[in-house]
Amino acid sequence: MTTLPPPPEGTPAAGIPPTEPFADPDGLHSAGQTDQRAASAVEGKTVATRRRRRSGSPGALADIWSRYKRNKLAVAGLVIVAVILFMAIFQPFLTPYDPFEQNLLNTTAPPSADHILGTDVLGRDMYSALVYGARLAMVVGIGTMLMSVIVGVAFGALAGYKRGWVDAVIMRFTDILLAFPLLVGAIFVVRIFGQGVLPVVIALVIFGWPTSARLMRGQTLALRESEYVEAARSIGASDTRIVLRHILPNAIAPVVVYAFTSVGVVVVAMASLSFLGVGVPADVPEWGRLISQSYNFIRVPGNEHLWLAPAMAIVITTLAFAFVADGLRDALDPKLRGGN
Amino acid sequence: MRRSRTGFAVVALGAAAAMVLTGCAQRSNQGAPEGGSAQPSVGYPETPPVEVVPGKPGGVFRLGITEPTAIDPYNVQESEGTSVANALFTGLVQVEPDGTVVPGVATDWSANDDCSQWTFNLKPNTHFHNGEVVDATSFKRGWERVAAPNSGSEVSYHLDVIQGYEEFQAGQAPEMTGVQVASANQLVVNLVQPDCEFPLRTNHPALSPAPAAVGPTSDPNYTDAPIGNGPFKMDGKWEHDKGIRLVRFEEYDAGPKAYLDAIEFTILNPQNGVQLETDGFKAGTFDWARMPTPLIGPNRAEFEPQGKWLSKKTNGINYFVAMNAEPPLNSPEARKAVSMAIDRAAIAEGVFKGAQAPADSIVPSLFPDAYQPGVCDACVYDPVKAKELAEKAGLTPGTEINLSFNTGAGHEEWTAAVRQQLEQNLGLKVNYQGVPFTDHLNNMEAKGASGLYRLAWGADYPTPGNYLIPLMATSSIKLDAEGKVTGNNYSRYSNPEFDALVARASATKDEAARNELWKEAERIAIGRDLAVIPLFQRQQFRLVDHSKWGNVNMDFNEDPTFDQIFLK
Amino acid sequence: MGKFILRRIGQAVLVVLATTLLVFLGTFALGDPFASTGDRQVPPAIAEQNRAIFGLDKPLYQQYFTYLGNLATGNLGVEYDQRRPVADMLIDVLPNTVRLALVAILIDVIIGVIAGIIAAVKRYSFSDVLVTVVSTVAIGVPTFVLGVVFLAYLAGWGPFPAVPRPFGSEVPWYQEVLLPAFTLAIVDAAFVARLMRGSMLEVLRADYIRTARAKGLSERVVIGKHALRNSIIPVVTYLGVSLGVLLGGALITESIFQYNGVGYLLFRAIAGNNVPIIAAVVVFAVLAFVVLSLIVDILYAFLDPRIRLD
Repeated sequence: MTTLPPPPEGTPAAGIPPTEPFADPDGLHSAGQTDQRAASAVEGKTVATRRRRRSGSPGALADIWSRYKRNKLAVAGLVIVAVILFMAIFQPFLTPYDPFEQNLLNTTAPPSADHILGTDVLGRDMYSALVYGARLAMVVGIGTMLMSVIVGVAFGALAGYKRGWVDAVIMRFTDILLAFPLLVGAIFVVRIFGQGVLPVVIALVIFGWPTSARLMRGQTLALRESEYVEAARSIGASDTRIVLRHILPNAIAPVVVYAFTSVGVVVVAMASLSFLGVGVPADVPEWGRLISQSYNFIRVPGNEHLWLAPAMAIVITTLAFAFVADGLRDALDPKLRGGN
Repeated sequence: MRRSRTGFAVVALGAAAAMVLTGCAQRSNQGAPEGGSAQPSVGYPETPPVEVVPGKPGGVFRLGITEPTAIDPYNVQESEGTSVANALFTGLVQVEPDGTVVPGVATDWSANDDCSQWTFNLKPNTHFHNGEVVDATSFKRGWERVAAPNSGSEVSYHLDVIQGYEEFQAGQAPEMTGVQVASANQLVVNLVQPDCEFPLRTNHPALSPAPAAVGPTSDPNYTDAPIGNGPFKMDGKWEHDKGIRLVRFEEYDAGPKAYLDAIEFTILNPQNGVQLETDGFKAGTFDWARMPTPLIGPNRAEFEPQGKWLSKKTNGINYFVAMNAEPPLNSPEARKAVSMAIDRAAIAEGVFKGAQAPADSIVPSLFPDAYQPGVCDACVYDPVKAKELAEKAGLTPGTEINLSFNTGAGHEEWTAAVRQQLEQNLGLKVNYQGVPFTDHLNNMEAKGASGLYRLAWGADYPTPGNYLIPLMATSSIKLDAEGKVTGNNYSRYSNPEFDALVARASATKDEAARNELWKEAERIAIGRDLAVIPLFQRQQFRLVDHSKWGNVNMDFNEDPTFDQIFLK
Repeated sequence: MGKFILRRIGQAVLVVLATTLLVFLGTFALGDPFASTGDRQVPPAIAEQNRAIFGLDKPLYQQYFTYLGNLATGNLGVEYDQRRPVADMLIDVLPNTVRLALVAILIDVIIGVIAGIIAAVKRYSFSDVLVTVVSTVAIGVPTFVLGVVFLAYLAGWGPFPAVPRPFGSEVPWYQEVLLPAFTLAIVDAAFVARLMRGSMLEVLRADYIRTARAKGLSERVVIGKHALRNSIIPVVTYLGVSLGVLLGGALITESIFQYNGVGYLLFRAIAGNNVPIIAAVVVFAVLAFVVLSLIVDILYAFLDPRIRLD
């Protein structure tokens, strides 16, 4: 067992990505805090010794896939994710009704042949609304994930590679953002930018990037001392080239795993914001919004579909992405669960 | 074809093309379901008031409220605080649930010819809870405490008709000169303008008397347990976020003593408080309960046959501020077109589940002598007529119009319905915007504001004038140096004819003649010009067991008539 | 080691300081707290006076430094709505939140640790699959959905007290805390179970466990003594930070159950635009988080000899 690199200013080294989907007891704190906890919790695995192979080659991909396949839940998760993405992309072909179209003569109707999941408080077809919600969840979920990962990886690599004061400044920023309660921060951001999808994305990116930055930094710190980076440096490769060609490909795996987990996190966070009334505009059939508008109906018998249907949509989506992340983690890092 | 939505420029690949292709493939989601009624029936009937009979002492009345801003008169604002303050304090006059004015501490009152000076004669030797005598000085003290500079009061504007208020409030005068203590039991009040309805104003908690032992408004030890002169007194302090307990004031002498031994207010979470009230009523922990909109229908079906139901149209109108000074709503035709394109009945039935009644006037039916059913002839749903008027007014399809509401207060759903109706019936391009209330207010006040803004109004004093004047009189626009509105007439309706009528009404002593003038003014501002767009008449529902409690009625502030209730 | 601790404390102070600035600036986004009351505008002259009472007429930097100075002396100011001292309000609700956090953590430990051990020891058995599936599902359910469902179907049933409870008939704290604690703990316990399982599996593969088994020690001793002691470290650190988060108040859960804690206080303050409370609670939450993280880091460094500190 080799020693870990010095812990990044006392934050337990984020050597291994969270094995679990993100757990946020109340959504009060940002996604990163709990991920960080998970990361810190997995014991002293070394980073530097782990991945020697460049993961880009076809052989490697085949390897990964063959390991991924063994995890049945992960395969199921992948199928569900594919279905959700399909729904999101082809939503207009799949919804029997315009998901925005209200019918005040037929509100809160129970499921029937015409409306297989009933109608919501504005008489919109619940099934169509949910499929539209899937599109929104994917646009926001994947968009937020991509943006936070790009920003996070860039700053993380910069911090880990440059070290010194650059590292210190970036890490202090992540400290602050990770300690700040997410929902309060998001409320501030939404009040500044106004209500809408974009402000929600901005808020979630602001509080989401520090986690991937820390993951990336941990990886970079370890890899920059490795033999092949030394070798590259000795033949005069530029810093940019070293980071892009040598460090990034080897460091990216845990970030990818984290990225998949975070999609579920974002979906739940967006729903929580809508539940608190600071999410997307009121007439957009977003899942959290559908739940909060049925809050008053919760104890009215015969109206269970109003909140059960969107709640199930959130749960299934979160689970599917969690399963995929789980499978990916196993597949990318055979040593962690292997050996049996 | 589908409409474009804000914020979705970022949709997944190819989706835009797909949307265009399939808009027509989607089924229409219109019409009533099989077996459902196409014709919505709207508004639940009011229950008749309970006749007040003599009772006997006893009983603890329990109810849920949300945390009030204050129970000390200096800053009483909402129904909850008013409810407690009215039990703790008795003002110069009192107003019965049906609007009749009856004596409080004053035995009689009279005005000079133009109603600019009022004289109140007080009952001698009535007492505060601490034994002090209530006299004219107590009132002057109480009023000046509210109006004092840096009192922190947000409701001192209730005193702004009194001479000397402005100077005193600004710290430029040692006293409010308009309030004169003529003798121990006579109070003379001089007003800045004639107001023949001034006694109604004195019913507001802000105009309560204060004992010499009164504490400063900044001292929570006093404001959490104020010393009043009402039929109930504090039992301990207000326990913030938990509850307030009042007990009968045995030495009450400003009127008949209360029957109830005690009132217990349990303070509930504002987010789901009304649901909790219903739950509490069903569990037997509350004797008076509100309910969330979806439960009104089921609750009525369950409790009305058991004699546990109270329904009343109350003091309040939901309306749209319609920006009169800026296009596109700068003509009566445009405002009427918008108004007639809104299907109030369908919203009342579909979204409010029958809990709100469509409004057909701005002065609500609570004022039977001034209410004119149907005075708002453009409050009728008529999409064809709406389209005609819109064309005349240049409100052509594609015209942009703002539709703004404040978030987190239950306006999300019905405004979404209005948005769709304006788009479908007039082809307008609606800029639909939900913002926190302070922003909503800022946007309305700002110079150049245009379009529709959701707002509600409840009168501070039970008079039609308190609807007409604040909402539509030129004097209520109050532009500041930057052109911002600082009054309540956000619509910026300005019509000298209307202004003259309401001024005449305020100075008319005879009630019947005054009501005729109010009516005429409303026919002009609403019937002809549609200065604001009335939407829904406020209606309230309560669960209360009439077989257990006698004399339970709902007062002007939508609170139970504590001073009359008794345990059967 | 001493240097490490000092540096971490320095960083913690920095984070808290930055938070005060962030909150101070952020609350301006919430708008003017004195412009309106309820559904009404406050007359500008009165609003102006009220702003002056609270020093909001001063230049921004001056307001900030006054605020910082007060904060340093423990003066959290007076809230805008009812003029109550914020420190008193915070102290009133703090014990409730501490109880809630501790009970939730306790439930985490009881459910999570035991389930995790069983799953790891009986790997691939039915119970393992059950734990994996149940914990994954639990993690996927948003807290607010869980809370709302619990409130609708469990409150007032069995040991769970009804919500609301009338004034004067409070229930003992250990009953009051149950439902919100379960709501918070279920997600966390699921997380702990998975963590425990993974950690335990790894330890079970270690050489010293093989040695212990080879020495003929009973499986109970091997698991209970050797394996547990080593595999619990990540769970303890996780729970430590989790406690830090919970102490800052559970905004949604506390509001749903009307549990009079820090989170519910914050919820109402946000709804009422009551800046002094928002600022105080956020700073407190960050402080709780930072302090607990600090403790966890130091503990972690002590517990795990493989971490090299300098």
